Amino acid sequence: MRREKIACSHCHLEFSPDVMIEQKAGDERLYFCCKGCQGVYNLIHDQGLERFYERSATVPLTPQSRHLEESSRFDAPAFMAQFAKSKGELLEIALVVEGIHCAACVWLNEKVLHETDGVVEATINFSTNKAKILWDPTQIKLSKIIDTIRAIGYDAYAYDPKVSENKNSTVRKEYFARLIVAVFASMNIMWIALAHYAGYFTGMDASIKTILNVAEWILATPVLFYSGWVFYRGAYYGARNGFVNMDTLVATGATLTYAYSIYATLTQHGEAYFDSVSMIITFVLFGKFLEVLSKKAASDTLDKMNRHIPMEVNKVASDGTITAIPLHSVEVDDVLEVRAGERFALDGVVIEGETYVDESSLTGESVPVWKQKGDSVISGTNALNGSVRMAVRSTFENSTFAKLVRMLEESLDKKPAIERLANRLSGRFSSTILFLAIMTFIVWIAPWGVDATFERTLMVAISVIVIACPCALALATPVATLVGVSLGAKKGVLFKEAAHIETLAKATTLFVDKTGTLTYGKPMVVEQIDFAPIEESIVASMTAQSIHPISKAVNSYCESPTRGHERFVSHAGRGIEMIVAEHTYWGGSATFLREQGVAIPDEVYEGLHFWVARDKELCRLYRLEDTLREGAGEFVDAMKRAHIEVIMLTGDTLHNAQAVANAVGITTLHAHLSPDEKAALVKARRAISEGVVMVGDGVNDTIALASADIAISMGHGADVAVDTSDVVLLHDDLYALQEAFVVARRTYRLIKQNLLLSLLYNATTIPLAVSGYIIPLIAALSMSASSLLVVGNSLRIKWKG
Amino acid sequence: MSDWVVIMMLGASILLGVFSLIAFLWGLKHNQFDDHERNMNSVLFDSTEDLNDAVKREAKRKSYETKSKG
Repeated sequence: MRREKIACSHCHLEFSPDVMIEQKAGDERLYFCCKGCQGVYNLIHDQGLERFYERSATVPLTPQSRHLEESSRFDAPAFMAQFAKSKGELLEIALVVEGIHCAACVWLNEKVLHETDGVVEATINFSTNKAKILWDPTQIKLSKIIDTIRAIGYDAYAYDPKVSENKNSTVRKEYFARLIVAVFASMNIMWIALAHYAGYFTGMDASIKTILNVAEWILATPVLFYSGWVFYRGAYYGARNGFVNMDTLVATGATLTYAYSIYATLTQHGEAYFDSVSMIITFVLFGKFLEVLSKKAASDTLDKMNRHIPMEVNKVASDGTITAIPLHSVEVDDVLEVRAGERFALDGVVIEGETYVDESSLTGESVPVWKQKGDSVISGTNALNGSVRMAVRSTFENSTFAKLVRMLEESLDKKPAIERLANRLSGRFSSTILFLAIMTFIVWIAPWGVDATFERTLMVAISVIVIACPCALALATPVATLVGVSLGAKKGVLFKEAAHIETLAKATTLFVDKTGTLTYGKPMVVEQIDFAPIEESIVASMTAQSIHPISKAVNSYCESPTRGHERFVSHAGRGIEMIVAEHTYWGGSATFLREQGVAIPDEVYEGLHFWVARDKELCRLYRLEDTLREGAGEFVDAMKRAHIEVIMLTGDTLHNAQAVANAVGITTLHAHLSPDEKAALVKARRAISEGVVMVGDGVNDTIALASADIAISMGHGADVAVDTSDVVLLHDDLYALQEAFVVARRTYRLIKQNLLLSLLYNATTIPLAVSGYIIPLIAALSMSASSLLVVGNSLRIKWKG
Repeated sequence: MSDWVVIMMLGASILLGVFSLIAFLWGLKHNQFDDHERNMNSVLFDSTEDLNDAVKREAKRKSYETKSKG
């Protein structure tokens, strides 16, 4: 019989009433799932903040039964020096508040903090849960503030805003401001230009034309010198390093057009092209802004990696007392205690206790490994359900985890700058144009040449540069990639930088991780073999007791509901024992059941097993396998058709890897690899061929991902893997991965077409300009036409898709 | 149409636009666009009590500012 479940008055999670704490409040009865929730509820109530519950409605909150570290460490001078910033007599700190679920949580935190004496300002960002707190150190200590946040059921930890996003977001903001100014001015110039062109055809007074020109001049000035500043900067750095780049071209083109237009305005000779100046700056800046938006911050990735390691460890002294000491002061042979749920910070050997360890960060395999006395544990792995004591075998600097982080750091630093086709072209293109302009000038002014007046000569020379103004060339790549990126996003492929499309299109080799990429990464029941009848509900309630992935998989396979309260004994690491009426049920590995005296057939079954027995009688076997993702075979086929070599990398055994490889049709595979061996293979391949792509999902793939030309990760993969990647598959879908290649290739083809179009345009107009036949109308029309052609051509990516 | 009218129209409309541009840039500089969700949610917190809180907050901040200056 199942009893009605009741929601906890604080956290709204539902439990059956007999396990809950009851409290009478007036006529009402309140139920709490734990002491923590009760405490928080009463505190909120006493402070008169019940409206929090009205506002949070029934959003489930985090129950308050957690073990929190001492808050006194927040007052340590070293901590203060690192994180707190002094503002006059006040101090400011950036915190991440954990446990925020909804707007009401933010409201509660801000409200409580503001009512605390000494806190001058507290603002919490709704989207990132990051808080900025300004406080008076003479009135309140930081630890007290943290305690206040904890008292109402949240937790906070400090982060250093200087390191991670601040620098990035200021750059973003700067570009955004520049872009907004450029867009604003361009839009206004556009409608003035409309009047301008209308007047050109229907005729207008010279005075009106000058007024329009001056208005455009005023608007174009901030665009060129404020928004366009980035191009001057880029051109300057390029010049200092001795090469001509796209920035040089944009800067010279825009500046000369601007100068020429001022000349035309003042002398009232010829046409002004302020609209072209602002247009090109706006368009190319927009492309740059998109790149800045998607720039990855290496520091962010490393921060996330480091969060995998506790900064303090619990050292067990010889007399048995436990003290928390900083990670860096641990020495070899120290004994540490690692509790359930904590991570091993250092490499060592278990000397007491037993636990499951999640080693997925090293092997990629999600099935936890059972560790007991004598087994070695590796830093960065996670103790799941038991506490152990370990003897340290290496200092932090020499630990496996520290080595991984160092390698990742190196790989991220060495990540090659992608050389883009347009960049290569534009360098040569702009030097050619500059050379041509100078030659034109010489030929026109020379007595042995055309022998024109100085003014006429200057006009012709500038017209060469103006007509060659690389609008179309500069737009060719950004517009096409922009369309490609948005098309990708629609299909669940997120390109972090537009430039990656080009590299992906040139891919020749694809390294693919097995677990979690080609397969789902967790075991699933594929077969059920019955030896004797047994109720499924028994299996369901038995497996509900364990956190082991095999147990979980069997549990989700069972359709029957779990039964009520039974007696369980969990033999951690091996199996579960359950007593129902007069029967004892056993579930677990073959070894475990044999120990209980159950006869297990000698027959060999593939994959992972979960055996179930009643008393001494064997009842059922569940066979589990990590199944292939949908579309894995088709994906590999498609890659082969596209002449991309597919190589499988895995930390798993050769036997398992071979089975998967055969099923999808991969011929080259490397099994039993450590994270750095994976990276080494990727690097070796990159030395001999271009366009090396790596697809992965786990922490163990991170270094390999960082070593590849293009890294693709599954959207639900580990944070660090997603951060390191250039392309993210939002739906963990191999069809989307295939789509990524298709979109990239189609986009690249269009980029090439665009470049060809713009070069063709220049090839026809420049001779005309050099020979002095360019009349203003043609210049204006052809400039817009070439840009429109390129934009129009780029949009074809969408129509085809 | 006299030139003067054209100048006035151009000047006035661009100036209006520039005002809003400056307002936007000011907001951007003062972190008003950092939190996309706050403004959407702020509609939930506009009762008398919330407004009183906001005033109290402001007063508290002011008092600290004058104290640290003086």
